[in-house]
Amino acid sequence: MAQLTIPLSRIEGHARVTIQFVGSRVLSAHFQATEMRGFEHFVLGAPAQQMPVIVPRICGVCSTAHHVASVKALESAYGVTPPPQAVRIRELMMLGQLIQNQATSLFIFTMPDLPGSEGVPSLFHFDSADSEIAPKALQVRRGGTRLITLAGGQFIHPVRAVLGGVTSGLARQRCDAMRQEMIDLLPMAEELLERYWELFAGLEDRISTLGDDTPTYYLAAVSPGHAYYGGPIRVLAPNGEEQAAFEADAYSKYLTEVPTEGSYSDGTLFRDELLRANSLARLNMLPELGTPRAEYWMQRFRQDWGYPAHAILLFDLARGIELVYAIERAIELLRRDLSNGDMRVAHVPRDGEGWGVVEAPRGPLIHHYTIREGLVEEARFVIPTQHNIFAIERALRVAAERYITPQGISLELERAVGRVVRAFDPCIACATH
Amino acid sequence: MTHDFAVLQLSGCSGCEVSLLNAEDWIGQRQLRYMPLVLTSDDLPPVHTLLVSGAVYTEDDLYRLTKAAKRAEQIIAVGTCAISGGVANLGTREQAHRALFDDVERRHLPRILPKLRPVDAVVPVTRYLPGCPPTPELFMAALFEEDGFKPNKTVCQDCGRKKTRDRPSTLLCSQCGEVDPDICLINQGYLCIGSSTRGGCGAPCTRAGHPCVGCRGPSNGFISRSSEQWFAAIERVFAKMTDIPPEQIAKALRSPELALFVFQFADYAATPRDVDKVL
Repeated sequence: MAQLTIPLSRIEGHARVTIQFVGSRVLSAHFQATEMRGFEHFVLGAPAQQMPVIVPRICGVCSTAHHVASVKALESAYGVTPPPQAVRIRELMMLGQLIQNQATSLFIFTMPDLPGSEGVPSLFHFDSADSEIAPKALQVRRGGTRLITLAGGQFIHPVRAVLGGVTSGLARQRCDAMRQEMIDLLPMAEELLERYWELFAGLEDRISTLGDDTPTYYLAAVSPGHAYYGGPIRVLAPNGEEQAAFEADAYSKYLTEVPTEGSYSDGTLFRDELLRANSLARLNMLPELGTPRAEYWMQRFRQDWGYPAHAILLFDLARGIELVYAIERAIELLRRDLSNGDMRVAHVPRDGEGWGVVEAPRGPLIHHYTIREGLVEEARFVIPTQHNIFAIERALRVAAERYITPQGISLELERAVGRVVRAFDPCIACATH
Repeated sequence: MTHDFAVLQLSGCSGCEVSLLNAEDWIGQRQLRYMPLVLTSDDLPPVHTLLVSGAVYTEDDLYRLTKAAKRAEQIIAVGTCAISGGVANLGTREQAHRALFDDVERRHLPRILPKLRPVDAVVPVTRYLPGCPPTPELFMAALFEEDGFKPNKTVCQDCGRKKTRDRPSTLLCSQCGEVDPDICLINQGYLCIGSSTRGGCGAPCTRAGHPCVGCRGPSNGFISRSSEQWFAAIERVFAKMTDIPPEQIAKALRSPELALFVFQFADYAATPRDVDKVL
């Protein structure tokens, strides 16, 4: 038996892929998270109310999602509902996160895979004709960070969402300036997406596939309207039929967390079935996005690849459509006066259990706390990347079978492994929380 | 000044890297040689400046740091984890640590070290850039203003909230009550430790209405002192500005509520660091 270990770059965190094979027969392909965070252990005994500022440190990329999931879990435990203004401000934070993440994943992580016969090492290596990509891509992603800063307070680890609402509103003048910034970013994001789409077509021509793996179940916590704040969690069968819809407090009835031996990350199964979460799962679940430019891109996407769509590399394009949506939705929300009104409702601390879910850029993120005398007695974090672990491994196996042949191991294998993993945009800090 | 640089990420959250990407003005001015988050490259080449983020948490971290350090002319320890362990340092609290080890029975993976270490416990560090994470402006200063950067001394000076003569008599938890947008958080009864936390961040948290939790580490006066001396200084600030019973402040400072962040200072006391090396 031979084993290949392929290191991974242009993903969040430390992970590797191992492929075991005999001759041209592939025995296994594993996606291994090689770092460990340990937050479920070290938050034990922490004051529950402090969780929204502790948990963003699980991951500096997905910090906003943890921040908001955490206040939602506390609100579920204490039985309070935040006022609508607070929910709008939190949604803005989540949109900032979506802009930042999708721009990072698209332009920094995956776009370098597309050009020429073997891609380039990074977005700083595009040839002179595409030299505008790097500065524009960084400008778009920074717009997302700036939106998080405005809505969330701190620029990486937000502080504004608190149990019952938000600490304070957003000054009118700053919202107006941010709205203008988003208006200016929109055409830039679309121009980048257009170029991405062209290069993507080139890749498809070169490798003659966008992923041969069979479809899986899809998982997302999105609802039409304010799609990405996190609604009921839904499961879609490969044929597009809804299989289940449940609130965060019922997650353990539907989703099983399975420990994996060779990785610090668990995986998630739905009734023993593989799952895919992230951008494509959401687009397969949402009949429409409700903003004009995103709708244009979604129609184009569905014309080309159908609905529901299944090929793995389409996760990348789907992120581009969400980037456009997030900018448009932020422009909509920033039109409102978010400076005053009820920002927060009171609560009475009590012992109990709470569940919070948000649709993070990588899929449904669930926080589940047990609280006693104001302290965290137990904490569970169910992470979007976990939902994808087994789907990633199966897709890797398919890629390995394609490129390990009786003629030998194709040099395309390593690139294919990178493309498959990046399509799911895994976050290892989160996955090993 | 065209020195190249590299970024080595140990166990951390990537927040420092995200912040560095936000400081995009370095592009074109300094060549980035290695940073797996954005760049596919097989190995770390010899490089002038090595930024190290994250803590030394696994045997893999230890190996990669030791190897990379030999190829760099100077090392900048970036972020709270690299400098004092950060939030991950909580993992060395006795109870949490035991639970963590019980869980770690997976195979063929880098092992977790018995005790988490800051970067300078393993290799010599030229400069320190604290913050969780450091702001893009601080990254630019670290990369380009090797000697000239002079941040405000404390977060308090960055903050700009108005101090009043109000003397609160009750200590509020950081997530409680309606926060006045203009008045000093201490005057409102919050346990804000910005008065002795290193400045230079621009005080985004306190401006948004959340008390400073001290992520930039201690201001110059406390870098080489024990955490007890540093606590005492905070207690004096509260005695001067509030009527909150001193024993309440003393207890809160040592409670898990703030200890979750104040733990960051432990290593400053254990390993004295040259004030001039801290940005």
